[in-house]
Amino acid sequence: MAFNLTRRKFLQTASLAAASVPLSKVVSANTGVTKAPLDPKGTAGDKTVVGGICEMCFWRCQLVGKVRDGRLMKLEGNPKSIDNGIKICARGNAGVKLLYDVDRLKYPMKNVGKRGAPKWKRISWKEALDECGSKLKSTVDNYGAQGICVFPHGASAKYPMHYFERAVGTHNVSEASFFQCRGIRDTAYVATIGKAPGEKVDMPNTKVLFFIGDHLGENVHVSHIKQYIQGLQNGAKLIVADPRFSASAAKADIWVQIKPGTDTAYMLAIMNYLVKNNKYNKAFVEDHTEGFEEFAEAIKGWSLEKAAKECDIPAAQIKEVAEMLAANAPHVAIHPGRHVSWHGNDFQRERALACLTGILGAYYVKGGWVPPKGPKVKGVSWAKEDHGHKYNLNFNHEEDEKIYSNPPPGTPTELIRDCAISGKPYPIKSCVVWGQNPMQTIPNQQKMKDLFNAMDFVMCVDVMPTDVTAWADILLPEASYLERYDYIKKGTQWDLSKEHQQYIAARMPLVPAMFERKDQVYITNEIAKRMGHAEKIPVRTIEEMVDKSLASANLSIEKLKAEDGIHIQPGKDPYGIPEDFSVILYNDDLEDSGHPPAPTYKPVPGNPKGFARLLYGRAPVHTFNRSQNNVWLNNAMPDNPVWVNDEVAAKLGIIDGDTVGFVNSEGVKSRTTTTVKVTPGIRKDCVYMYHGYGSANPLLTTGVGTGVDDQSLITKLAVDPETGCHGMRNNFVKLIKDGKVLDIPA
Amino acid sequence: MSPEEQSEDIARVYRFLSQCMQYPDAEWMDEDFFNVFYSLLGTLGAVNDAVEIKKKIDQAEDPVEDLQVEYTRLFINGVPHVVAPPYGSVYMDKSLQGTFAGNTLAFYRDKGFAMEENADLPDHLIHELEFLSLLTLENDLPGEEEFLTKLFRPWYEKFHPRVTEGAHHPFYRVVVQLIDFFTKEEDKDGFQPNKA
Amino acid sequence: MQYGMIIDLERCVGCHACTIACRAEWEVPVPYQRNWVKRLGPTMTKDGMAATYYPGLCNHCDKPPCVDECPADLAEMTFKDAKTGKTKTMEVAATWKDPFDGTVQVDKERCLGCGACADACPYGARYVNPALADDNSDGKADKCTYCKPRIEEGLQPACVQTCITGARIFGDLTDPNSAVSKYVKNGAKGLEVKDGHIGPNSRYFGNKKDISLLFADYTPELADMGSVKRRAMMASMVKPAMRKAKDIGLLGLAGAMLVKGLSEDEKN
Repeated sequence: MAFNLTRRKFLQTASLAAASVPLSKVVSANTGVTKAPLDPKGTAGDKTVVGGICEMCFWRCQLVGKVRDGRLMKLEGNPKSIDNGIKICARGNAGVKLLYDVDRLKYPMKNVGKRGAPKWKRISWKEALDECGSKLKSTVDNYGAQGICVFPHGASAKYPMHYFERAVGTHNVSEASFFQCRGIRDTAYVATIGKAPGEKVDMPNTKVLFFIGDHLGENVHVSHIKQYIQGLQNGAKLIVADPRFSASAAKADIWVQIKPGTDTAYMLAIMNYLVKNNKYNKAFVEDHTEGFEEFAEAIKGWSLEKAAKECDIPAAQIKEVAEMLAANAPHVAIHPGRHVSWHGNDFQRERALACLTGILGAYYVKGGWVPPKGPKVKGVSWAKEDHGHKYNLNFNHEEDEKIYSNPPPGTPTELIRDCAISGKPYPIKSCVVWGQNPMQTIPNQQKMKDLFNAMDFVMCVDVMPTDVTAWADILLPEASYLERYDYIKKGTQWDLSKEHQQYIAARMPLVPAMFERKDQVYITNEIAKRMGHAEKIPVRTIEEMVDKSLASANLSIEKLKAEDGIHIQPGKDPYGIPEDFSVILYNDDLEDSGHPPAPTYKPVPGNPKGFARLLYGRAPVHTFNRSQNNVWLNNAMPDNPVWVNDEVAAKLGIIDGDTVGFVNSEGVKSRTTTTVKVTPGIRKDCVYMYHGYGSANPLLTTGVGTGVDDQSLITKLAVDPETGCHGMRNNFVKLIKDGKVLDIPA
Repeated sequence: MSPEEQSEDIARVYRFLSQCMQYPDAEWMDEDFFNVFYSLLGTLGAVNDAVEIKKKIDQAEDPVEDLQVEYTRLFINGVPHVVAPPYGSVYMDKSLQGTFAGNTLAFYRDKGFAMEENADLPDHLIHELEFLSLLTLENDLPGEEEFLTKLFRPWYEKFHPRVTEGAHHPFYRVVVQLIDFFTKEEDKDGFQPNKA
Repeated sequence: MQYGMIIDLERCVGCHACTIACRAEWEVPVPYQRNWVKRLGPTMTKDGMAATYYPGLCNHCDKPPCVDECPADLAEMTFKDAKTGKTKTMEVAATWKDPFDGTVQVDKERCLGCGACADACPYGARYVNPALADDNSDGKADKCTYCKPRIEEGLQPACVQTCITGARIFGDLTDPNSAVSKYVKNGAKGLEVKDGHIGPNSRYFGNKKDISLLFADYTPELADMGSVKRRAMMASMVKPAMRKAKDIGLLGLAGAMLVKGLSEDEKN
């Protein structure tokens, strides 16, 4: 197109009716301001805003914001923090880029195209909420509350999750943080010591750190890393079992290059050695354990040699580790792990960790597992209601017992997906996804698509257009952690040997929410009103929720602000074994449910010929897939090179920096490619990559297609029999280079 | 035509272009609106474009929804990805609310303007056009020229081809060309520099 | 006084907090960087399997090769010792080594953006930042300042403040009681160039295998000064012409002059 008139000419000749169009005036007179200098100013002179609680990951460091002209320039640790202190990690520092990410969701949108291939249309909040309310209500009216399934994740998902579980009444809730991450750890420790262990090992004050697969340094949580490094600086020995020379292995005194899936055998041999050689903590076992005799009997077959063969490591090294633990017990930190859903035999591995801690007497002692004594703050949410077991998918009505005996809260993901796809035993017709990206957190993406296609209605609430949001009918933009009131973070000083203190901090916005982003209380309440639950609404606003909760600790938003965002009070000595504390080495209840009562090694499927086991882990600059679109973080580690053993690479004829794709043992190919990292620091029978890369959703303009999506290759599902949680490391791949599929030599 | 009248005219045009870049709504995007739009194109001799758009609008079952979907895809969140976010910082700083947005706001303030509470970000195309309209009304021609050169054209030149190439609906393809036309510098003979 | 920084690799976990904090503090646009973290290994060293990190930044060298290459006109500048208030006046180009605190700084107003200093730096610690372009240049030389504006406010450098393990330590290397001096006594050393002595003041401490891996992989060579000098000369030659070209809005011509400048230089 060309206009056959010049602008000048146009102005000289034309007189337009355009002025009759009504226009709203959005700019008005105000004061003048000077021009920005050439040199960036730095943030030293910027306004400090208190009250931030980070959620680039879920450790939740306490922040302050540096604000200039209404723009958040920088985030820093809150100087008053006794947890992370003034320090925050790469992701925390990059929070400003999430806040101002151009791809972030801005307005409610309706999909006028298809699920998975959406055509988005911006709509008003009223229209969006009316649609969500009426569709969800219609599902409940036609199919019952169980007709709704929920996939929540993160602090903002708690309130809506409680709404759907408690007020609406569905059991069909699957939290990724449990079923695909740490749920197994929690339930295995509950079955052993009666409580979830967190990662509460007293690392700064320990003599030995014992890690099974923990890769601290690549997995970064600020105060936890502070504890870890303080421990090493104080002279602690570090033992790391990992098929790969991880960031932690690089700092280790002993690197156990263990065969994947055999960790339980390894620990059984250590425990058996300690028992046989009378090197366990007899006093503790006497006073604080149950079933030692039966336990000792059950594991007696695990000689060093047997484990050495099974784990593909030297027997002498197992002995060395056992001796090191015994010599330093009880001041040894047996780390319970974090992401533990690996092989489908994980409950047993976690039980072994808990029992090993027990026979070393390393509970509630300096350098052992020690839960800090934090302050009490009551949560405020929807009132609990009993909805019975009738529609609980994890309940066998004939046997009158649970199907998975030790599940984390919610319903195992696979039971929900099978029910939703088959319609049996009942229909599930609406799906609410809140902050979770089940397309990349839950293995078997095809099954997830089948679930969405079986729905009458799908709604997603998120800050970013993650892969799953393409499957929504209605997509709602949420205020980010920097723009809303929310989570109350509490705890103690990071090093238990320092003065005992407690802290309480609430998330408070550092800047107002932009565009039409809303918080979870607003969205949930508006949906609840439309579903007929107006009278059950517990709080009208998110500020009210936070204030009510703080009131239980004699605090308020006002008071916290006056205390620079963090309230600090005297703490309590956490050391000393509670009288009723007991470690159940041999658990009869488990036996009653048909599971081994003593920790038991269950071998995992071996490599099919020509394939390597696919291992994955954390990149220090990313939180799974959530942070992939962050320009700064993406730049710091733009892809996820696949680690290939140097001898294997030589045989395959691939060199460092080559570009490869993957095909798994079920024939699924990676959508994208990545580069090769050739190293002696990985076993020959595995390959390794950082998790979370290779996003498929093109709405993520930075993150899309960078690196390979490990989750797309995780199509074979192991399900942990005690918990119903997923195991994701029984998948096997071959490399593809220049279109040729390469067999991995045995 | 007096310079004042000329200024009023160009101010109206800026406002009208700004209106064109608002999220489509039947409230204002009615027959009157399109008639003004077509007549503007007619004045400029772009009759073919007017005919093409009119045809598309007249044939559509719900022309406003079509434009809403197109607007969302082009400017908010779209598939395969948002085509052309209408914020200067996105092109100059690769982020919303970058230094460039700060500089833009500083310029508004320098001229005695500030953002209203419910406004979008300062470097949104709509607000920049509104600002240009206000400057023109105040007869601040040097200010207008400076704003165009330093803060408008640098990003608009990157934004414009993205819309031209990415648009499925002729309406926005033509709107961004109109904006381009009315914001480009010209030499004393009234010719605009030709990129090609 | 000579400011210096220690990187303690025993503490470093390679998390990148330092690089991202620096971006936020100084609005450093991607893909440029004032500091960086490279992952080294795992690889076999003579002391066993090793993997570590190379957290790098400007070394604020004793004899910075970048400073000598700046072709900008000399200007008189008065420096002040923050401690004693003593002043010293020197003639400097657009980049210099501060006579009192030993840091290497850039005057962006006077920088021509030619990039000769960036080419001269054996560590790759400088870049030309296009976000700082003005009427006379397409960008300005930019680099780590050891966060001088923050130091003057009594703060730590941004990377040091956020370092989650306390692996970065900042201080005065000439003060024997400073933490950084103690590290130097214990063996912390800089990545000195292979073929010369420029005295890097960002220094590395760690166990034997990690340090040997770092020094094997990242000991730099001095840049080829011939090409650097040529570039600097060109920049100063075309400087007035460039300005003129921009004034009359004929950008194409400036490019032509650059080519001409190069060919004439090559003839000589």
